[in-house]
Amino acid sequence: MTAASDPAFGLGLLVALLAACAAVVAARAALRWRIGRAARVDRGTGVDWMAGLLAVPRRYLVDVHHVVARDPHAARMHALAAGGLLAGSTLALLGLVPPLGASRLFWITTALAFLLALVGGAMVARRRYPRRPARLSGGTFQRLPLLLVAYGGGALLVALAATLGDPLAPLGWLGLAMAAIGGFGLVRQLAGGPMRHAFAGALHLAAHPRPGRFEGERATALMPADLEAPRLGVATPADFAWNQLLGFDACIQCGRCEVACPAFAAGQPLNPKRLIQDLAGAFKSGPPAYAGSPYPNARPVAGIGGPDLPIVGAGALIHPDTIWSCTTCRACVEECPMMIEHVDAIVDLRRFQTMELAAVPAGAIPTLSESRYAEEPGGRPLSARTDFAAGLPLPLIADKGSCDVLLWLGAGAYELRHGRTLRALVELLRRASIDYAVLGAEERDCGDLARRLGDEATFADLARANIATLSRYAFRRILTADPHALHVLRNEYPAFGGHYELIHHSAFLDELTAEGRLNLVAMPDGRLTYHDPCYLGRYNGETEAPRRLLDRLGLERVEMERHGKRAMCCGGGGGAPVSDIAGDRRIPDIRMAQARATGAATVAVACPQCAAMLEGVTGDVAQVRDLAELVLAAVEAAPASQGAGR
Amino acid sequence: MKALVLLSDARHPVSGRPAPAATELQAVALAHTLADEVNGLHAGPDAEAARGALGHGLTRLEHRQLTAGDDPLPSLVAAIGTAPPDLVLAGPRAGAGAQTGLLPYCLAEALGWPIVADAVSLAVADGVLEVIQALPKGARRRWRMRLPAVITVHPAAPAAASFALGVARKGQVVETPGLPARIEGPPVAERPYRPRPRLIASAAAGAGAAERLKAATQATGPGGQVMVAPPPEAAARAILDHLRAIGVLKPAERG
Repeated sequence: MTAASDPAFGLGLLVALLAACAAVVAARAALRWRIGRAARVDRGTGVDWMAGLLAVPRRYLVDVHHVVARDPHAARMHALAAGGLLAGSTLALLGLVPPLGASRLFWITTALAFLLALVGGAMVARRRYPRRPARLSGGTFQRLPLLLVAYGGGALLVALAATLGDPLAPLGWLGLAMAAIGGFGLVRQLAGGPMRHAFAGALHLAAHPRPGRFEGERATALMPADLEAPRLGVATPADFAWNQLLGFDACIQCGRCEVACPAFAAGQPLNPKRLIQDLAGAFKSGPPAYAGSPYPNARPVAGIGGPDLPIVGAGALIHPDTIWSCTTCRACVEECPMMIEHVDAIVDLRRFQTMELAAVPAGAIPTLSESRYAEEPGGRPLSARTDFAAGLPLPLIADKGSCDVLLWLGAGAYELRHGRTLRALVELLRRASIDYAVLGAEERDCGDLARRLGDEATFADLARANIATLSRYAFRRILTADPHALHVLRNEYPAFGGHYELIHHSAFLDELTAEGRLNLVAMPDGRLTYHDPCYLGRYNGETEAPRRLLDRLGLERVEMERHGKRAMCCGGGGGAPVSDIAGDRRIPDIRMAQARATGAATVAVACPQCAAMLEGVTGDVAQVRDLAELVLAAVEAAPASQGAGR
Repeated sequence: MKALVLLSDARHPVSGRPAPAATELQAVALAHTLADEVNGLHAGPDAEAARGALGHGLTRLEHRQLTAGDDPLPSLVAAIGTAPPDLVLAGPRAGAGAQTGLLPYCLAEALGWPIVADAVSLAVADGVLEVIQALPKGARRRWRMRLPAVITVHPAAPAAASFALGVARKGQVVETPGLPARIEGPPVAERPYRPRPRLIASAAAGAGAAERLKAATQATGPGGQVMVAPPPEAAARAILDHLRAIGVLKPAERG
């Protein structure tokens, strides 16, 4: 047994050596995050290390796994490769302890662990060879399965030799050599290669900027910018908080974000994966070569970066068109298994462009100016916001002093299309005898557009003005048909001292019908599909109420492949329509084609932006109807005598 | 190269809130094509609206304080006289208030500088300013003149920069007392606006649609007939002929 245990003892020493090397490499990589600003966390004063580190296993096994498991093959692959590697290596290290090292059963267990790692490595290889899917990166990532197989397979041989004894000793030595080659290869990949995600990812889970995401919260509100800071927004990598830099290093380049990104699909120069790699490389002297898919129709840039050099600009790393292509739909964040916050990074970069350089896309200049000087992004008179309701009773809260439901109209009220929706909603409120009122000319823009375009100063002014207005009136809750206003008032005003109970009209109408305050008749009217607004579904997690409501209408409801929290954006968020960055296709065209592919004749929407974007599609289109319009049609079809409160 | 932009106490045309006038912000952007530092000058009781221009690229604002109703012209002349810039830019008329549009002309007269109205583009080479002036119907005219000069900016000039808080924070405001001066001249009368009939060139009767469209839309601009010191009869005949040609007067009776 002594002769056979020699390679096994060597494996234990090898693992110890690898662990020491890995610690040095990881520590050196971690020191680079120190260039960043103080940690930014959306609650409390900073990173709660104790709670964060203790929560890592749970955050990994529950929250990360929940995302990874959307691709079951990848989940099994990762569980086997990572689990087998960690378990086997730990056991091999324990084998240095004499009584364990002499136990046959112990080495059988070790061999099993490495067998799992080998199978995992083989699955990684099968996914990447002979042909690599477009969303996965090449380069060092293509070498990863070879290293995994070498390390897992070699260590397996060592463990087998230790189990079976003398006849296999030469094989044990061969295995040790293979394990050494594979092991050192993997450690080398810790600094800039695929293995970086292992330690950066674990720390990212502990020091995450939005810990609420692991506790069932949506945690989607943008964090306020410090308007007293010497430099507003992020110009250089050193302007990011250090835990944001850590987050960029956690990326494993799985490409799920690029598959989900609407701007990428439309051929606009944005690829979330490439963006995160550019940001991760920006603070390193010799960033590893990127071997994934590029920005579509990439604009030329100089490619010069460094910890204290600008990130965005034609003479830097990222072209401005890239950050202005984002619709802030958060699809990339929703899909990211490493829980990276792409949208926060993009808005931070935009804040510097807008508030320090005044370098916004030409189309966004009037929007920002009017938001600032007319308190309305279209420059329209605030008193004209209620014009859509001509002939309908629309009491002002200033006249009533208080009401049960305050109706927040939003910028969509000026548009003819959304005006029809709001008319339907007001008519439904009237029929259900709701005590409602509007702010009228006292309602300013909620500031959503200015904030997503990086103009935090204008957003803060609008938020304070609206909060001051709302504080003068008594109401129980705010109803709105605009998910963008819903998100801003519900989730982003609390940071400015405004705390309100918000309800979207989909949930409100669902409530009214459930209580029997609106009588509807089921009216089968062909096949229908529901398009989830990003700011309702992904940002606020409200995907069920609209579906319940539609099902009450007795319609044949079918789902698009991408729906619920994974729905695709209509292209109307984040100021993208005014920034208007050229691509190959239009995002709403893609979404409408997806709706048509279900065979639906009608696409139900619940947001003024979605309605406007989808109605702008030409050719083979489904009819665009807001939930309020569909409900009103069903209520009007019901016998009048049953209508409540007429 | 020193550029100075005159700023008025403007209001947003829809909201009525103090806001820098759009053409004055365009003047700031235009001045930035020539100079890195652009200073602003406001004479009046309140500089809140003018202060807004600091966020749109203005480097420094000088506010000459006046009481309401005072004529800003002497204060402006005094401020410009202490450190004369190479170029004074202004909007075509104030963003609110009297809005006569005469101030840039009065200022140019008081300074003895040339003035070009409705600039859309500026360039300077060897102390010679080249101005592209906007004319009706999209026509453009080029002027060359020696500096210093007063220029008013046309709304068709390049768009102004958007508001940037970081830029606004760096801007300085200098408050100085202005020169009290009552407004001279006849009192201004106010009367309701009356739309005036527009003189549209028309093709001769019986011309086709294409000719009529061409006549109605084609730039008539400069051109036509230039007569230098003509005898009065010849001048009157030329004017009558022109009015007959464009159809304002009936054709001359034969015989």
